[in-house]
Order: sequence, then structure tokens, then C-alpha cells
Amino acid sequence: MNRTDRPIVNPIVVLREEFDDWAILFNPDTAVAVGINPVGVAVWKGMDGKRNLEEIVLEIKAGFEDAPETAFEDITAFVEKLAEDGYVGYELKTTTND
Amino acid sequence: MLMRTPRSLDIEITARCNLRCRYCYFFNNPAVDYRELPTDEWLEFFAELGSLGVMNVTLAGGEPFLRKDLPVLLEGLVRNRMRFSVLSNGTLIDDELAAFITGTRRCEYVQVSVDGSCAKTHDSCRGKGSFEHAIRGIRTLQRHSVNVAVRVTIHRNNVNDLENIAHLLLEELELPSFSTNSAGYLGTCRLNAADVLLNVQEREFAMAALAHLTQKYNGRISATAGPLAEGRAWRRMEDARAQGAQAFPNGGRLSACGCPSNKISVRADGAIVPCSMLAHGELGRINQDSLAEIWQRSPALNQLRNRHTIPLTEFQFCAACSYIPYCTGNCPGLAYAITGQVDHPSPDACLRRFLEQGGTIA
Repeated sequence: MNRTDRPIVNPIVVLREEFDDWAILFNPDTAVAVGINPVGVAVWKGMDGKRNLEEIVLEIKAGFEDAPETAFEDITAFVEKLAEDGYVGYELKTTTND
Repeated sequence: MLMRTPRSLDIEITARCNLRCRYCYFFNNPAVDYRELPTDEWLEFFAELGSLGVMNVTLAGGEPFLRKDLPVLLEGLVRNRMRFSVLSNGTLIDDELAAFITGTRRCEYVQVSVDGSCAKTHDSCRGKGSFEHAIRGIRTLQRHSVNVAVRVTIHRNNVNDLENIAHLLLEELELPSFSTNSAGYLGTCRLNAADVLLNVQEREFAMAALAHLTQKYNGRISATAGPLAEGRAWRRMEDARAQGAQAFPNGGRLSACGCPSNKISVRADGAIVPCSMLAHGELGRINQDSLAEIWQRSPALNQLRNRHTIPLTEFQFCAACSYIPYCTGNCPGLAYAITGQVDHPSPDACLRRFLEQGGTIA
């Protein structure tokens, strides 16, 4: 994955937000559910296929005061793991034929 | 901690059944309006469930496979990103339906009730021909790779057939496991209690037989209620009492039921209720009231959730009982059916009473 990749959430996956700002990602096709923390929730909501990874990280850094120096690496690893498990894909780059 | 919305729902999708089982908890409840909703009302509700992030729905009844629109309803659940299970008597399942269920890829299991190793035992409470059709239903589901769960409800007519039932289910049908409970004093069973409910000796026999079979089949028989579960719980309580052990973490209070914090139920007529065993407790109506609002703010539901704070020492029924530190009061649904009070221990699950009536625990 690189900074210009535009991740997009698998639309079949359910984001269950709970009261404590944590959430559950539930894939009804596999019956697998995983818990994610508030930063994970913000990353999830940012993965709309329009923003690239760098833009998502910048938004996270702006929204969370205590974002660590390793935020980009941490978030990249998180998104790569989600992609590996089928929760996330990447928006294909479109080309035009004039 | 309470979840923002229920993770699971139990939905009685129909008020009709092709059988009239003598111990059925569903029928003969004067508080229930036995009518059912049209397809579009359920689909509208399923869209609400999808928006709330509900993960699992269990369809029960009545007999869900009586609904001709069942595939459309299941598609509605799938479309709204949920998984589902179906509780059935198994008699109406055919290849087409089983194939459809497989094709959804969202089915947790179809549970089929089997109460005997042969037609004579099974049909004694469930009606002539029901055994043959139920077994055929199980085989059909297996043929289509649908996960089959079997529930055995123990009653007076099958308590001596448990070994054969286990053989049928685990060896002949090669099911990975099955679960058990027992007929309870609810619904139609109230009319047939003397013929159906286990007496003290039968209960004692069932506890011992199931403990033996569980060992024989290496834990492939499970229970959250009924003789197998009671036998285990009562053994732990008796050991703790005899040793003067510290109170169990949830002991001494009406703490048995965690269901109201995890799931909620809907009757066939669209009434939202805490549990299908508390079907009188209407909290609202689907498509009229917000499910999230009911889940988070219903005073009746929150009262039920706080039931665990009520000490057993408050009840005359429990006066001077040495098992109090180890007792949770058991099922509020059964407590209500027997005593008329939800906030009361269930007399049916009372170890002291069982022993006073001549029962023993192995």
C-alpha cells in the first residue's frame, strides 16, 4: 500500500457503533466480528474511496490530539490488516480514452 | 455495559403452526394476539434493524416454514446485512427451501425439534406423522449443507428414551451435537402439565441419564436449561454449600437472565417484548415505535435489566434457604408463568424444593 491508494470499505461490512466510541465491524458473510477503537472508527469512516491514505491520516491527526509520530505506519498497518481480512478494498484508478 | 442497540433479535415471524404440541410455550397465552403481519411490514422493520447494526435474527413462531413468503423475508434480512437462524419443527422443509437457505450464505443454523428416537415417542406430544417428517427435514437440510441444530425437549413420554435419542442424533444422523431442555409450565403446557411435566423422580432420572450420555458422547450434548443444566448447577450449589464456600459472584440475587441486555423479541403481531417467554410485556410496536429508543430508554426493559440487584433474601419463598449465596433465581419467564411475578425466583428451579420433594442429586 502507498500513500496515494484510496481505500474503500467493503459495503457488506456492518459498523456497529457503541456508547463508548468503540465499535464492532461485523462481516455477515463470514460471521466474523472485530472490535475497533475510536481511532479505528474514524479511519473506517474516512475510507470512502475518495480520500487517499495520506489524507485519511492527516484528518486523524487533526481530530486526535495525542496522535503518535507513528500514526501513518500504525494506520497503514491497520488498513492493510482490514484489507487482508476482506473488510476493505481499494478504489481502482480510472483511465479515460479520449 | 449496555450496547447501543440490540445485537440479536428473536422474531416470531408467524402465529400459525401445523402442529399442536402438548407442551408448546407459544400457544395458549391469553396476553398474546395470535395474528401475523404481512410481508411488507416485516421488510420495513428489517430495514430498521439493518440501520441499527443488528447482527443476528432468529426466526421462530409458530412454524416459520408455513410462511409462503419466507424466502422473501430471508432476502430482506440478507439485504440488510444480517445473519439468521430458524427454529422449526422440520416437517415442511423441502429441497427447494433448503437450497434457498444455503444460497443465502447467511444462515447460522436451522433448529429442528426432535423429541424421540422413534415415531411413537416423538409423536406422543407432537402429533402423528411428525417424527417421519422431522427426520426427513433434517436429512434434507444436511443434503444441502445447512447447519442443523437439534433441540430435544424432555417430558414424561420421552424421559426413558434419552439413550436412543442420543444414538439416533449423534450416530445415525451424524449430527455434531444437540441441545436439550425440558417442557416448562408455559402456554399449552399449562393445560397438559400433569401429563407432560417431569415429576421429581423423572427429573432426577433425566439428570443422571444426561450426565452419563454427555460423558459417553464427549460433551456433544448441551443445555442452558432443563435437567442437564440443572443437574450441573445444582451439583455446584450443593458442593459449595457443603464446603461453606464463598457466595458465587452472581449468587444471592435475581441475576440469572442476561438476555435483556443482549437481545430483544418481537411477537408475530409486531409487539416488541423483552423475551418470547415474557410475551405479555409489550414495550412498543414495530414500525410505530423506535426500536433504539425502546432498547435504550424503556422503563420496563431497564427494570428487567436491573432485576439482578434484587436480593433473594427479600423473598419469603427463599426464607432460611442455605443455597441463597449460590442461587440466581433462574428464568424470569418461568417465574412469571408460575408465580405471576417477574421479579421472583422461579420455583421450578428451586434446589431446596426439589430436595424437599424427595429428589436427590448425583
